[in-house]
Amino acid sequence: MASAVILPAFGNSAESAMIARWLKQPGDRVEAGEPLCEIETDKATVEVASPAAGVILERFYGEGEGVPVQTVIAAIGEPGEDVAQLRPGGVGPTAVAAPTVPPNAAGRVSARINATPPVGISPRARGLAERHGLAPASLTGSGPGGRVIERDVQAAIRAQPRMTPLARAMVERGGFVAPAAGTGADERITARDLQAPAVPAPAAAPARDEDVEVVPLTGVRRIIAERMLASLQTTAQLTLHTSADARRLQEYRARLKSSPEEFGLRSITINDLLLFAVSRTLAEHHELNALFAENTITRYRRINLGFAVDTPRGLLVPVIRSAGALSLQALAREAARLAALAQQGRAAPNDLQGGTFTVTNLGSFGIERFTPILNPPQVAILGVGAIGLHPVESDGTIRFQPRLGLSLTVNHQVVDGAPAARFLQALARNIAELDLLLAN
Amino acid sequence: MPKQMPIDPTEVRRAAVLTSPEIPINAYIPNPQIEAALYGSANLVRMYHDMVTIREFETMLDRLKKEGVYEGVAYNHRGPAHLSIGQEAAAVGQCYHLTPDDMIFGSHRSHGEIIAKSLSAIAKLSQADLLQIMEHYLGGATLRAVERFSSGDAHSLAVDYALYGALAEIFGRDTGFNRGMGGSMHAFFPPFGVMPNNAIVGGSAPIAAGAALFKRVNRRPGIVIANIGDASMGCGPVWEAMMFSAMDQYRTLWGEHVGGRPPILFNVMNNFYGMGGQPRGETMGFDVLARVGLGVNPEGMHAERVDGYNPLAVADAVARKRAILESGRGPVLLDTVTYRFSGHSPSDPSTYRDKEEIDRWRAHDSLERFGNYLVEYSHADRARLERIQSEARERITAVLRAAVSLDISPRISVQSDAIGDLMFSWQRRNRPTDAEPEVLLPLGETRLAQTRAKHRFGLDADGRPLPKLKTLTYAEALFEAMIGEYYRDPTMVAYGEENRDWGGAFGVYRGLTEALPYHRLFNTPISEAAIAGTAVGYALCGGRVVAELMYCDFMGRAGDEIFNQMAKWQAMSAGVLQMPLVLRVSVGSKYGAQHSQDWTALVVHIPGLQVMFPATPYDARGMLTLALRGTDPVVFFESQRLYAEPETLVPGGVPLDDYEVELGEPALRRSGRDVTIVTVGATLYVALAAAEELDRLGISAEVIDARFINPLNYGPIVDSVRKTGKVLLASDACERGSFLHTMASNISQLAFDFLDGPVAVVGARNWITPPAELEEAFFPQKEWIVDTLHERVLPISGYTPRTRQGVAELLRRNRLGI
Repeated sequence: MASAVILPAFGNSAESAMIARWLKQPGDRVEAGEPLCEIETDKATVEVASPAAGVILERFYGEGEGVPVQTVIAAIGEPGEDVAQLRPGGVGPTAVAAPTVPPNAAGRVSARINATPPVGISPRARGLAERHGLAPASLTGSGPGGRVIERDVQAAIRAQPRMTPLARAMVERGGFVAPAAGTGADERITARDLQAPAVPAPAAAPARDEDVEVVPLTGVRRIIAERMLASLQTTAQLTLHTSADARRLQEYRARLKSSPEEFGLRSITINDLLLFAVSRTLAEHHELNALFAENTITRYRRINLGFAVDTPRGLLVPVIRSAGALSLQALAREAARLAALAQQGRAAPNDLQGGTFTVTNLGSFGIERFTPILNPPQVAILGVGAIGLHPVESDGTIRFQPRLGLSLTVNHQVVDGAPAARFLQALARNIAELDLLLAN
Repeated sequence: MPKQMPIDPTEVRRAAVLTSPEIPINAYIPNPQIEAALYGSANLVRMYHDMVTIREFETMLDRLKKEGVYEGVAYNHRGPAHLSIGQEAAAVGQCYHLTPDDMIFGSHRSHGEIIAKSLSAIAKLSQADLLQIMEHYLGGATLRAVERFSSGDAHSLAVDYALYGALAEIFGRDTGFNRGMGGSMHAFFPPFGVMPNNAIVGGSAPIAAGAALFKRVNRRPGIVIANIGDASMGCGPVWEAMMFSAMDQYRTLWGEHVGGRPPILFNVMNNFYGMGGQPRGETMGFDVLARVGLGVNPEGMHAERVDGYNPLAVADAVARKRAILESGRGPVLLDTVTYRFSGHSPSDPSTYRDKEEIDRWRAHDSLERFGNYLVEYSHADRARLERIQSEARERITAVLRAAVSLDISPRISVQSDAIGDLMFSWQRRNRPTDAEPEVLLPLGETRLAQTRAKHRFGLDADGRPLPKLKTLTYAEALFEAMIGEYYRDPTMVAYGEENRDWGGAFGVYRGLTEALPYHRLFNTPISEAAIAGTAVGYALCGGRVVAELMYCDFMGRAGDEIFNQMAKWQAMSAGVLQMPLVLRVSVGSKYGAQHSQDWTALVVHIPGLQVMFPATPYDARGMLTLALRGTDPVVFFESQRLYAEPETLVPGGVPLDDYEVELGEPALRRSGRDVTIVTVGATLYVALAAAEELDRLGISAEVIDARFINPLNYGPIVDSVRKTGKVLLASDACERGSFLHTMASNISQLAFDFLDGPVAVVGARNWITPPAELEEAFFPQKEWIVDTLHERVLPISGYTPRTRQGVAELLRRNRLGI
């Protein structure tokens, strides 16, 4: 009997997903664990692996189709096997997933016991693999009967080359080649250790009609479209602008860049410093670190800081958990790790949920001021602009001072102008006195 | 084996003829003039009243079962009703002379005895005493219900109370005598001397014997009657109870001040049928049941056949036998002839007897004849008798109306864990009575002085073993717990086979013989049912008792007493009774198939028992002390492999001062990271050896000694499994059905997401235990533990297993049933 390929459930919330791309065609022979297709949920892109070895007999959904989770999306088996029972709409997938054993001549059930069992994974190993983003099917089991047990997952974790998140992203997406050992701490491979790809990535195939590009609204794009419109339609958005003295920010960043390599501080960016300043300032302004839903404002002591990342699939907002409790270095590392995952489309649904405040930064594009759009149910979002020279009067003299543009959008339904202004004022001061803030 | 009683070959080999006492049969000679003087009209009429009350009560139940309605009150009684219509004179005659201090234990057919004894006690108690009893029993819950329908003086209230308490109990109501947990076959009420009735045929015999032992040892007033049926004469425990009660030592070895043999009367309500079988003429051979007494002792148990259809004949016999019992010359056997008109139960088609036989007995109906007697000799006129009958009907109708009402008589809540709360009493016996414990030596002069002088830990500072003879052993640790409690609790007794002189087959009690008088430590016949059953009776009277079964395997001989009596009476009494009984059983080895089994699984399966199994001297003393100070029944497992072993695991060894181990808490014996091994009993040491071997193979094993089987706190075990992810359970019990499988199931559910493999169980083979020379093939060895881990949980690189422990072997063994 053919095996069912079931669309798995992702995270806690997704009830359906879209088949973004089929990687295998009907008639292709596949091994167990080999990727069959890419699935796009509202948060991430995930591959679905083949549950069994065999030939793809039928695909029940095409690319771009939305499918409820836990639905059978394809059948795998040997040519000629009947797949009618697996086809969705007839019998439910869970019912057909359990094979029925015809009674044999002796009327005994020994056939089931002697049948080759699926290669198992212990509950403990499964949990560990999930936490490290390893697909169980990719693991080799050393337990009884080939069962994947904890030590196999630990071995797989150890076998992964130790890389910085950026380096890993460059290898996996950019085709860069990693050496056996790197120059970072504990021989960690950093971006600088990587060799450029020998062959440039192939260009996208030209569109059929060169004047028109038709882009179906799918996955992340569709979600962004719905969310942005809903945000403007359901909240009362007020944006306040100010600027902050950026001298110490730039000085500190320069010191970090020239710090000894072994300190591991060189990769901390201006944006990391700003996220740090925001996390510390928010600690004193809980009314902005809040969610508003169903007529209730819930303020959080813990700061789960979202930050916008531009990815090939569109805007994603990974969340740094408990940002207020992280050191600058730890916060920077976490931001880099999450950003890389988001860029690669490998962010787990839970990496993209649970934010209490968001920072979005367009400064690198030279944008001075803009009006960020809220990410409900959050009640505030900070837009960070570019650093530009602005005249400032001091002791009767006009000097040019580097200043950073800051734009704060709040939901005026629940946050008044004055507290929002106080937060901006405090944030500007903390940026101006960044060295003192770091000492705190 | 007392040395003061030499066995003389000349005497025992001399030719002679054994003569036996004569057995009187229905020897009572009615004499209306003497009876009138002896009892007086009022008491004679009261006997009639009590008989009528029983008849009406049983008739009411008969109607409910058969017709669903009595006097206009409809009720569907779903439970049993073994009625005694026809047996009223035997019950009322027996109870006439009994005082509230006297106890009766009964059978499944004891409604009549409950009522007769209650009415007799009510007649003898003052109004103030009655009110006090009713107000305090179960916090006054039953009285509150009775007050809703009953009025009149305290005596009349008490009669309603007794009838209602019994009926509400029969109907399974929270306001019944035992909150509905006993029901028809078990209802009882200790304040009136109505002790537990037993649904196991003959079950009351050893329990009543134990209650009589309690009265004798603790010098309490009153006698004890076991009301059993004629068919129970075929039950081993009944014979064992008679043997136990007739021991010579009570009169030859126990101090005269103790008072002789226990005051126990085995009263057989001989209604000639055991359900449908007929003991006389069909299923037994004694012809006249009283003859059985001749087989028990030279006095023939003072046995008599009594006419149970004449209440005055029965009252006369009980009065005469009471004098014998009180002078310490029991036990007594009465063959009380009676007959039930009703069937065994309402479903009885009476296929085993003719209607003609019933009609002939109806012509002898004691109610009819005793009524005629009262009229003939002018104790009452017909109108009076009719009034008694109609008043009984009215009273029972009112009681029935209240008992069927769910408002007045609710059932126990099953939404909460109210029944669970009744399973154990959880009390601590800190100071049981004010009496001074009877001992023969000051504590400091007993063997305790020698054991205290020994090393308390088995290893020296460098970890080398100290000489065993100079180090406190597991057996001596048990001794210290025993003697400590003996000198604290004056009610404490211990007995079993070879307990005195020998000090128990394994010497645990060595040194107690010198310290304690006979009545606190004695040898019993080889009667495991009586050892356990009398201990149940002793304990439910409030006495601390330690019963010993030499080998765990002998529990089979005491199955009912352990499984149905010891385990269940606390809950069946709804907390009215406590069960401060510790049953010590020893798990053997080297003695083959019938002397080597660990039966923890059997007892833990029965709700109501606490089960403990210490594996080190520290735990032996601390857990036995814990068991001895509680009020719950404990089956205390010991291992013969361990008796001679010193403490080597608990730092500091066995403390000199008193201490208790915390109930239900497993003990961590070795810390590790990679795998958890949980053991029960002596297998601990095998597991520790396996852990050493695993260490050499690069695997760090944590070893936990469960030591408690019920109750058991799984918390520490689960914590360990969460850490290691791998767990193996081991004990010497045969693998199939072992308690370890219950533990495995619980761990699977409590720690599923943390498990890195299935929970593996290593037990003894499912064989008979082979000879000592082959035991290594039967009991778990360290290789089995390492191999099972390798085959089923964590393959060890480069390791070659030495035994077959894989899943294919598991499948094969189960397929073959071995």
